[in-house]
Amino acid sequence: MTELDLMGLVDFVPAVLRVTTPILLAALGVLISDRAGVLNIGVEGMMLSGAFAGVVASAATGSATAGLLAAIVAGGLLGAVLAAAVQILKSDLILSGIALNIAAAAGTTLLLFLMTGDKGMSGSLASKVLPNVAIPWIADVPVLGTLLSGHHVLTYAAFLAVPGVGIFLTRTPLGLRLRAVGESPESAAIAGINVVRVQVMALIVSGAFAGTGGAFLSMGYVSWFSQDMSAGRGFIALAAEVMGHGGASGTMFASLLLGAAEAIAVALQGRGLPSELMQTVPYVVPVVALVVYARRRQRLLARA
Amino acid sequence: MIRSAFASLVLTALLLVLVVGVVLVPIAMRLPDPLAVLDMFVLGPFRNPRHTGNIVEMATPAMMCGLAVAIMFRAGMFNLGVEGAFFLGGLATVATVLVVPLPGWAMAPVGLLVGAVVGSSICAVPGYLKARYEASELVSSLMLNFAALFLGLFIVNYFLRDPAAGAMVSYKIPVDARLPRLVGGTRIHLGTIVAVAACLIGAVYLFMTRGGFESRIVGLNPGFAAHLGLPIRWITLRAQLIGGLIAAGAGGIEMLGIYQRFSWQSLPGNGWTGVVAAILARDNPILIIPAALFLSYLQVGGDLIARNFDVPSEAVGLIQALVLLVVTSSAIMRNPRLMRFIQGRSNAATKTGEPKAAERSPA
Repeated sequence: MTELDLMGLVDFVPAVLRVTTPILLAALGVLISDRAGVLNIGVEGMMLSGAFAGVVASAATGSATAGLLAAIVAGGLLGAVLAAAVQILKSDLILSGIALNIAAAAGTTLLLFLMTGDKGMSGSLASKVLPNVAIPWIADVPVLGTLLSGHHVLTYAAFLAVPGVGIFLTRTPLGLRLRAVGESPESAAIAGINVVRVQVMALIVSGAFAGTGGAFLSMGYVSWFSQDMSAGRGFIALAAEVMGHGGASGTMFASLLLGAAEAIAVALQGRGLPSELMQTVPYVVPVVALVVYARRRQRLLARA
Repeated sequence: MIRSAFASLVLTALLLVLVVGVVLVPIAMRLPDPLAVLDMFVLGPFRNPRHTGNIVEMATPAMMCGLAVAIMFRAGMFNLGVEGAFFLGGLATVATVLVVPLPGWAMAPVGLLVGAVVGSSICAVPGYLKARYEASELVSSLMLNFAALFLGLFIVNYFLRDPAAGAMVSYKIPVDARLPRLVGGTRIHLGTIVAVAACLIGAVYLFMTRGGFESRIVGLNPGFAAHLGLPIRWITLRAQLIGGLIAAGAGGIEMLGIYQRFSWQSLPGNGWTGVVAAILARDNPILIIPAALFLSYLQVGGDLIARNFDVPSEAVGLIQALVLLVVTSSAIMRNPRLMRFIQGRSNAATKTGEPKAAERSPA
């Protein structure tokens, strides 16, 4: 590989990280819910609501941090709503998640209209964006600087959360209980674990992660909210979690793979390939990856 | 049995009224004349034959998408590809009648057939991947919906786009290909009859044929089905294929029945309405007909208040979501005390000469 290609590759990394960030945040949320046995299909709607809450709150307070907090709270609240639907109303988990996605799409549009008189975009709201972070010293090193420094604050948060979630799930008593509930709720209950409480908590945390991913969309990726702006990223996060083998690092690599696919598609779009066709790539790659992963698992099972 | 089915019907109806009220009343209260808004929403669709016709027009795709969902869910698969199949089916149908030189009488049938086959892939592929590789059909069908959308926009933009039209829409659908309108003053078309017939045939298929029985066994209890030696993979795949063909056919029928050109720029949402209709009808094809009519009635009411007052029609989406939530809520729907309360009342009603309503409601 020539030096020029290598530099192009290095410059490509920030684009990949940018696209990966919302997917990774949401996928970590899905991971926590999945390990607790309550797969969060509503992650798409929670992201959308987080994006909306971030824009509204930051515009109202003039503070980007308040926007981020609002996004986290909005996601967590919807997680609580989903938990209430499943635990109190005894609704079906997946159908409740679908209901939440429909409600979030309609609800954010409705609220945006009530607030601004516009159904499509939040352009009239003076919302804030969260900053990019330059790491001192490293920022000045040629290649390393591009790779490690100058990314969005939530990009760092997402990648730092990976070991956090991993350690939480595998090395803490609460994480152990959470996985026990996911493996076998009956046995966990016999062992004295409060299954309902663990699952409610997992869905709230899952929603908070999705809300943070949403905040990145409207306060980092772009600086406004637009109708249905999550555009299936929550579903891509579901795919990333399934591909990630139920582990935090696996989920991260899967998210990076899907993020890279999308970033390549965006780059090729710039070189004159039909943009619509390139836009299918982020949705086709997960399906192919799922099949590859499922085949491998089948072969391993057959050998065992 | 019949009595409890009737009780759940009453309960569902009460809940629906409640849900509509919960969403609509606060929105209406914002406006100077809340009663006029509620009146427009509830009675508006029946004041004008054109609007009543709108209910039937909108119910047509909802019935077929609901039927597709019911057949796939009954076989135990959470395949959500209906939305993409509907979109792609509509596009492939329009593309066929525009591109392939056909005699006028053959346009609609050939177009619909091609549309159904092409569009069904969005449901069939996740079904195949699940049956063959155990890949989650839920995730892959959600992904393929979006892939279908962008593939469709590519095809419209590069092959079917009419440069004379301002927006990104296809050439005009030839008049010969369009489905005949049935009722003057409305847009009710032949597709409505097809949709009702499909639901009836779907009920016969699910409850009276061997194939439907097999797929219900697989959906209810895969372990038992395996014990019986049923070819589970083929049975689930067959259900996804049938569901996909119906959903994609619905997209084609919608295009040839209502539209002048292919003009969808995003997923139209009929598939999700189908999911709600199927759940509301408890995956019963006959009940899907009233469920679809009811959901369309809400949509027409929502569109009417959106047009006449300062209320976006998205309020209907909130109602749909709440309907989905409360109808699947077994804490409400299977609450013994609530059921007994309603049954006690319906017993009284039965004694005073209202037995037909109970008999009419299938379990």
